[in-house]
Amino acid sequence: MSCELNKKERAGVINPIFTCQPAGAQYASIGIEDCIGIVHGGQGCVMFVRLLFAQHFKDNFLLASSSLHEDAAVLGGVHRVEKAVDVLLMRYPEVKVVPIISTCSTEIIGDDIDGVVRKLNSGLLKEKYADREVHLIPIHTPSFKGSMIEGYDVAVKDFVKAFAKKEEPNGKINLITGWVNPGDVTALKHLLSEMDVDATVLFEIESFDSPLMPDGEAVSHGSTTIEDMKSTANAIGTIALNRYEGGQAANYLEKEFEIPAVIGPTPIGIRNTDAFLANIKIMTGKPIPKSLVRERGIAIDTMTDLIHMFFADKKVAIYGNPDLVIGLAEFCLDLEMKPVLLLLGDDNKKYSKDPRIIELQEKVEFEMEIVQNADLWELENRIKTKDLDLDLIIGHSKGRFTSIDNDIPMLRVGFPVYDRAGYYRHPIVGYAGAIWLVEEMANVLFTDMEYKKNKEWILNVW
Amino acid sequence: MPYHEFKCSECIPERKKHAVVKGEGEDLTSCLPLGYLNTIPGTISERGCAFCGAKHVIGTPMKDVIHLCHGPVGCTYDTWQTKRYISDNDNYQFKYTFATDMKEKDIVFGAEKLLKQNIIDAFKAFPEIKRMSVYQTCASALIGDDIDAIAKEVMGEMPDVDIFVCNSPGFAGPSQSGGHHLINIAWVNQKVGTFEPKITSDYVINYVGEYNIQGDQEVMVDYFRRMGIQVLSTFTGNGSYDDLRGMHRADLNVLECARSAEYICNELRVRYGTPRMDIDGFGFKPLSESLLKVGMFFGLEKEAQTIIDEEIARWKPEFDWYARRLKGVKVCLWPGGSKLWHWAHVIHDEMNVDVVSLYTKFGHQGDMEKGIARCAEGALAIDDPNELEGIEAMKELKPDIILTGVRPGEVAKKMRVQYLNAHAYHNGPYKGFEGWVRFARDIYNAVYSPIHQLSGLDISKDEIDTDNRFMTRQMISDVKIDTEAAEASDEREYTGDYDCVTKLRGKKYPKLEKEALSID
Repeated sequence: MSCELNKKERAGVINPIFTCQPAGAQYASIGIEDCIGIVHGGQGCVMFVRLLFAQHFKDNFLLASSSLHEDAAVLGGVHRVEKAVDVLLMRYPEVKVVPIISTCSTEIIGDDIDGVVRKLNSGLLKEKYADREVHLIPIHTPSFKGSMIEGYDVAVKDFVKAFAKKEEPNGKINLITGWVNPGDVTALKHLLSEMDVDATVLFEIESFDSPLMPDGEAVSHGSTTIEDMKSTANAIGTIALNRYEGGQAANYLEKEFEIPAVIGPTPIGIRNTDAFLANIKIMTGKPIPKSLVRERGIAIDTMTDLIHMFFADKKVAIYGNPDLVIGLAEFCLDLEMKPVLLLLGDDNKKYSKDPRIIELQEKVEFEMEIVQNADLWELENRIKTKDLDLDLIIGHSKGRFTSIDNDIPMLRVGFPVYDRAGYYRHPIVGYAGAIWLVEEMANVLFTDMEYKKNKEWILNVW
Repeated sequence: MPYHEFKCSECIPERKKHAVVKGEGEDLTSCLPLGYLNTIPGTISERGCAFCGAKHVIGTPMKDVIHLCHGPVGCTYDTWQTKRYISDNDNYQFKYTFATDMKEKDIVFGAEKLLKQNIIDAFKAFPEIKRMSVYQTCASALIGDDIDAIAKEVMGEMPDVDIFVCNSPGFAGPSQSGGHHLINIAWVNQKVGTFEPKITSDYVINYVGEYNIQGDQEVMVDYFRRMGIQVLSTFTGNGSYDDLRGMHRADLNVLECARSAEYICNELRVRYGTPRMDIDGFGFKPLSESLLKVGMFFGLEKEAQTIIDEEIARWKPEFDWYARRLKGVKVCLWPGGSKLWHWAHVIHDEMNVDVVSLYTKFGHQGDMEKGIARCAEGALAIDDPNELEGIEAMKELKPDIILTGVRPGEVAKKMRVQYLNAHAYHNGPYKGFEGWVRFARDIYNAVYSPIHQLSGLDISKDEIDTDNRFMTRQMISDVKIDTEAAEASDEREYTGDYDCVTKLRGKKYPKLEKEALSID
């Protein structure tokens, strides 16, 4: 009995878990105020990513394309970037930050986006936009390397690198959240506020959950400012919640500006949230207040009602963003469940050296498998061939038919979730997130018991 | 030329000729925007790419096929589970998507071996599926992988499989429309004529340019079959790969979406002499005329008329209930391509709504010609609209509802404009007689939403109505109608089922069975 770390053996992908790098950079860029990214590539690389965001958040987010057509694909397309920057700046006077995000096509043809940024800085911006603050930031996200996870990680680092500037200490911590939902940011800010800690949050995306206002003027956009990013160089320290989504930025700040970095743990579940608070306490010297003891108590109270009756020994498969999957697996273990299969959707070489994965390999007593470079067929095929017996699937909506067709209940967690209403509003991090996860898991299992008439009468009293 | 210059686009003069207002007495000679030109970078246009036009719009609705993209994973992922082209084989084609997952070393050294292994592994994973479409992407096009050669090699080694290759990289054209063209021609070049279908009727059609959005194809095919017509293939919604290889055996190509699929009809006419007949599946009158047209071709007018009479008797009273209440509702008709002209006149003539604007994301000038010819005077027509222009138009025109895609629908929502999904529908199907009622019903439900009324109230300064504890749609809509006349009529609200498509599957068609016997 042990935990094995394997790689998918089959060539290619059947039902991918992730999309490609540029999507990650686009997700990071919508978190910044007065920022519209230009994706240098075919129009689909933007159109579909915007659709994906709209599917998940039920809102619209602004991203532009350099609209690479055939002539540019053959003869080079940097002039399309020049034109795109000018058109964008002319029509969006508030825009200050314009990441130029490359794609597979423009990386293959060798378009020099760093060069064009230099050219625009010394040319167009000086000549036509001299009175205006504009930052062009080249971000290399060739789609054939890594995944959307790496694209996000690279973009966060590139933004921080572009802006971070040593000035007076600001007394704040940097909190790099990773690829989260508005509900998570609310939960994290709540914890910081209870700790009386001031933080620069990368990225402030609470406003992704935006209202429909009587004047019809509201829009969904992130609110991290240039000032916020500048001041990351003056923080007490950086906490990056996720190793693979923001870890590079934390390391950069440590190396370049000696801002101490703590990477992880992803505060999913009680234990990881405890560790997160402990890290803040060490970094800031602020004590953990009684209010959080109480909040934690409410979470534990909720769990105590459920765990040993309904969760114990339930076999779970989890897929999605790596830090999320690992965090959820650790939480499931605390909940007496058995996360028997974890699927990590890309081929990041760092997974085999990840201390959390090593810990699972060393300590788990039951049969568990972690598959790298996995796709959703790795899950479905195991179910269909009876190699895997599951009580619950945890993952994002792209796997919905694996659940539906195989009659296995599924809790939607991660990105994207488009077949359940309002999930972006609920946190999965912190004690509030722990409560939501546990209660939703229970409700998903309960609904399944009723649907299948599987001891549904047990719920008459518990 | 009554060009409409958007304030937001004054700084890009190239845009000027892309929007017109159809003025009084004006026709196409004086009022036609430019169309299908390269997109201006950075405008935040709504266009997609030629890859998605080929793979996502036309390729993937084919139902019994492994759809494999040769490229990095994103092209596959992004075009997966974002449309509603259902099928009667449990939606295989949108449940499973395949990518060769090209990585850096493949870009450097070529990915033909990887592609071959992928094809073999994919067939191994689904042994019951013997057909495959392989789609080129930007990456595989630029490194020059010879997908056709690999497909031939595999077909040589695995005689029971058949593979179609679609070379339509994302950059091949100004929009998704480039991909429509490429895949049409690729199919007729590679596959038509390579399979001999079983002919079971004297009246045989291909149904072309129909993608079975929420069951449109199944509704229309039901009419054709009731007339005794064999639908040999559908290009491509709910369509079967081998049926489509046999397209050359039909007597007639019945074309629905001329934007995306006229190319194949034209090729079939040239190569096999099969005539092309354009039809409209939307709206009582256009649909009736279309069925009659097809009937006349085969001498089946009586059969067509019987269906039309039956369907109109069943659904007209329900449609009229909504049409009475939709009078004067202002609509922005902002679809992708063909619905621009499919709907431009008929929603006005039959539903009584006013089309104040129409636009096309990827249509050509020909689509605008048809749309502008059909729409009422005063409408603002926009080619390749962008985000700011859409917002400016909505502010100016103050529509009650826009018919468009999911994401632009979210833009409208924030501006307190209701939205209906023109691509994938809200609660479709919208084709067919019953579908037309469903369309009117969905517009009605959006426009007269009590919550929509509340959304305009600013509780910080407006007077709050404390008398009404609730409102119903009808309380809002019926203020402006002649209630006595409404009550005296036989009109009623929609009474159909939530799912009106599944029950059509497995239905028996006596006329077709008799035909089949006489042919045997």
